[in-house]
Amino acid sequence: MAMAAFRREGRRFLLSPISHKPSTVARSAILSEEFHPSGTRSISTQVVRNRMKSVRNIQKITKAMKMVAASKLRAVQVRTENSRGLWQPFTALLGDVPSVDVKKNVIVTITSDKGLCGGINSTSVKISKSLYKFTSGPEKETKYVVLGEKGKVQLVRDSKNSIEMTITELQKNPLNYTQVSVLADDILKNVEYDALRIIFNKFHSVVSFIPTVSTILSPEVVERESESGGKLGDLDSYEIEGSETKAEVLQNLAEFQFSCVLFNAALENACSELGARMSAMDSSSRNAGEMLDRLTLTYNRTRQASITTELIEIISGASALTG
Amino acid sequence: MASAAAGSSAAVPFWRAAGMTYITYSNICASLVRSCLKEPYKSEAASREKVHFAISKWADGKPEKPTVRSDSPEE
Repeated sequence: MAMAAFRREGRRFLLSPISHKPSTVARSAILSEEFHPSGTRSISTQVVRNRMKSVRNIQKITKAMKMVAASKLRAVQVRTENSRGLWQPFTALLGDVPSVDVKKNVIVTITSDKGLCGGINSTSVKISKSLYKFTSGPEKETKYVVLGEKGKVQLVRDSKNSIEMTITELQKNPLNYTQVSVLADDILKNVEYDALRIIFNKFHSVVSFIPTVSTILSPEVVERESESGGKLGDLDSYEIEGSETKAEVLQNLAEFQFSCVLFNAALENACSELGARMSAMDSSSRNAGEMLDRLTLTYNRTRQASITTELIEIISGASALTG
Repeated sequence: MASAAAGSSAAVPFWRAAGMTYITYSNICASLVRSCLKEPYKSEAASREKVHFAISKWADGKPEKPTVRSDSPEE
């Protein structure tokens, strides 16, 4: 009787330690019993105890990672919200028209260097690829500039001929405007573009990150669009001080706009990465807790069954002696 | 709208003629302003100037050796 119940318990699936995507691999099962021919012994308590110890350690680590991400997030969030004021005047002046039709597109994808942050990098890459398809056509040319290790790895797999540059190790020091502007300068010097499209995850709240595209036009395209009217057509109504021409001013504006938008995008992406990591580590800790509960039940059952077996043996041995 | 600081009547401002972009120009001006600060604000501002990234250009689907730009621009 004890043996039959024991065999039933033995066949319960033992859960493996959590892999890196806790939300997807919640219950991968392995059977690790040793079926002796008589079926008396099953899982030893040592195995279960080891598994419990490792799961407990993983839970501690993920909890710690969540705390770290939460504390970093608080600081970066303040800076992000302050940096939003940098590009708003540009959008008020020049507009943000993603549907503009140009020949040379450069897609700047911002991703993170480190992993364990949920799905934000995959969504950015997915949007980059669909934007690539959207902007390609006869006589058109689209190139990628990738910031961050994770995006590079994903894009290399199928689009490596369209990658212009990759930039990594961006977050070694806390993000500041100087760094991003130097980077923007490098990008501007090395790619020819009619329109730059920056793809990043905009931080709305700790649980919501929306992939966003910001479009920046080169000065020549701005000229062209302003002739066709619309928001850019009002540019001529502005007076230009100093000894600069309109083309000069537009070029300065375009460069500065790219730098500001890139700075804001990098900050927003950093915020989103931290928020995503927080929620990923949180769900991972919760899964680890559930796994621990199940393992504890199995452990207790195993322990009681082995005690019962020993008792039976002792008693039957004793009764065999006396009987 | 940045009016040319030189006030010259040249068609192109001096920094543009020297090959700088507006971004480089404003960065140099900013680091000049930062170096005018007194301690302790100066060291706080210096931490805002640190630059570090590794950039690698790609040719024919192959990355070239990455160049690490790690400097704190001091002008």
